[in-house]
Amino acid sequence: MALYTVADYRTNVGAKTVPFIPYDDNGGSLVAVAGDDFALLASDTRLSTGFSIYTREQSKLFRLSDTTVLGCAGCWCDALTLARILEARMQMYLHEHQRPMSTPAVAQMLSTLLYYKRFFPYYVANLLAGLDEEGKGCVYSYDPVGSYERVHYKASGSAGALLLPFLDNQIGYNNMENVTPEPVGIPKAMQILKDAFISAAERDIYTGDSIFINIITKDGIQEEKFALRRD
Amino acid sequence: MASERYSFSLTTFSPSGKLVQIEYALAAVAAGAPSVGIKASNGVVLATENKHKSILYEEHSVHKVEMITQHIGMVYSGMGPDYRLLVKRARKMAQQYFLVYGEPIPTAQLVQRVAMVMQEYTQSGGVRPFGVSLLICGWDEGKPYLFQCDPSGAYFAWKATAMGKNFINGKTFLEKRYSEDLELDDAVHTAILTLEEGFEGQMTADNIEVGICDAQGFRRLDPSSVKDYLANIP
Amino acid sequence: MSYNGGAVLAMKGKKCVAIAADKRFGIQAQTLALDFQKIFEMGPHLYVGLPGLATDTQTVHERLKFRLNLYELKESRHIHPKTFGNMVSNMLYEKRFGPYFVEPVIAGLDPKTFEPYVCSMDLIGCINEPEDFVVAGTCTEQLYGVCEALWEPDLEPDDLFETISQALTNALDRDPISGWGAVVHIIEKDKITTKTLKTRMD
Repeated sequence: MALYTVADYRTNVGAKTVPFIPYDDNGGSLVAVAGDDFALLASDTRLSTGFSIYTREQSKLFRLSDTTVLGCAGCWCDALTLARILEARMQMYLHEHQRPMSTPAVAQMLSTLLYYKRFFPYYVANLLAGLDEEGKGCVYSYDPVGSYERVHYKASGSAGALLLPFLDNQIGYNNMENVTPEPVGIPKAMQILKDAFISAAERDIYTGDSIFINIITKDGIQEEKFALRRD
Repeated sequence: MASERYSFSLTTFSPSGKLVQIEYALAAVAAGAPSVGIKASNGVVLATENKHKSILYEEHSVHKVEMITQHIGMVYSGMGPDYRLLVKRARKMAQQYFLVYGEPIPTAQLVQRVAMVMQEYTQSGGVRPFGVSLLICGWDEGKPYLFQCDPSGAYFAWKATAMGKNFINGKTFLEKRYSEDLELDDAVHTAILTLEEGFEGQMTADNIEVGICDAQGFRRLDPSSVKDYLANIP
Repeated sequence: MSYNGGAVLAMKGKKCVAIAADKRFGIQAQTLALDFQKIFEMGPHLYVGLPGLATDTQTVHERLKFRLNLYELKESRHIHPKTFGNMVSNMLYEKRFGPYFVEPVIAGLDPKTFEPYVCSMDLIGCINEPEDFVVAGTCTEQLYGVCEALWEPDLEPDDLFETISQALTNALDRDPISGWGAVVHIIEKDKITTKTLKTRMD
């Protein structure tokens, strides 16, 4: 996800103008898996810009309610802003309707918020995971301007391209012969997720240090940490 | 243009089918200082006479035995300046090969390419054949190699051979002395003995040159080690 | 590099190597053929894959064959895959400022010891010679992701085939300009196995 580069080829300008670049790419990767009665959402904890690391300890997950978690990677300031607005809007919903927002409702609202800034978008890769009204695991995947889709599993962020085909194979059972596709349980999903991140951290410099995994079930949200390579 | 007048080949057939220019070149070689090459089981040795016309000469400054690459060395009989040119070309060809393939040039390849250059000088316009024969030794993939390269561009693989002045006697001597399972040290000894055949005057570490090539690569022996070998000669 | 699309992958195993590629030929998003050869046999244990601009794939193959034939005639021996790699690199660097748009992948066995060898290089011949696998083409990110997860040291030929096939097919499925069938060569000391894979055709 390269941004644009600002180059000034004019040579005869008097005072040098400093261009305003409103975006930065702070990297980070996300993986989400939806099961029958659970959802997993994981992010790495590296926050970087270019070749330098801001911190190795920044989770990119935002716990929006007891059943909904948002993962946000890309331009970190946009991620923070977006999460803050979402939280506020969910609070307003709670006051107005006297009940917390359901995950599908948050999903729709997130899309609307993103499209609202269609011509000055939030530079973020979003994954929303949680339980729907029936208690089933759900994952929603977004583009930066609000196009979204409910999926069984998804990877996005800086190492999205590295993670996704592996998930296709291991969770989606793509290109598997003589195997009956059965939905993954929490232990297997956790294992695949960790393997995927280990691989991505080998080749993507914007992904690494460690991952936070949120396990969303009807009993609440559990968090687990898992170490990755730090170079 | 004046140079055009000489841009035809100087090497032309005589009515009997000989290239006398090449025969003259070979005569120049046969009149040159003798040199010897012997292949041993674990290496190769090159040796040559390096006599100086005056005591005023600075010895050990201009060499006849030259390294071409880590694992290939060369010596000559005949005309010194012609040899210098061939050394320069051989070194360049070896480096060109390394540039393309990333591995050291096999000795046989270098010999082939040097021979090609020598052949070109028998057929090109405005040039004369080289007045030298070369002995090229090398070590590739655990095996020693010894080649001779003549002014005509012909090349031969030898177990042992002698060139230059007295080369017939030298070869006869080697035929008697040579055996397949010679060790490198013995081969150096034999090479020095071969040079001694018909050597005029006293042989010293200052008037012969020795080069050896084995698994460690090619190196010219320094006068002190040559002296050690000479000490073993009756 | 992404005008015609395509991907090549090579992996080391235990006393064997594998090289695989897709078979698509297209112009940008339009697929034109499903039998385009990107991997070429250059010797009894030597294969080269040339993903990139299709016209350069064919030209570079022809020119490499030319150089290789001369080498083998001159030296009367088979070339070592590493030496071949240097030869390819040298040829590409000759066109440093007007390059062939190919990213070669070389897989083979040492002609004497049968030691496995793989390497890849960029379009101007910078060689990359890792211990495990090499990838090239339009879906390198996807290939790196799956290979890094699926590959392990000392795979037997059958397992190597399974690994390289899974890695390639799953990566191809996430690249719109690669795929439409694939071919895999498993190179062993006294056996070369060539298999074609069925993949998604969309």
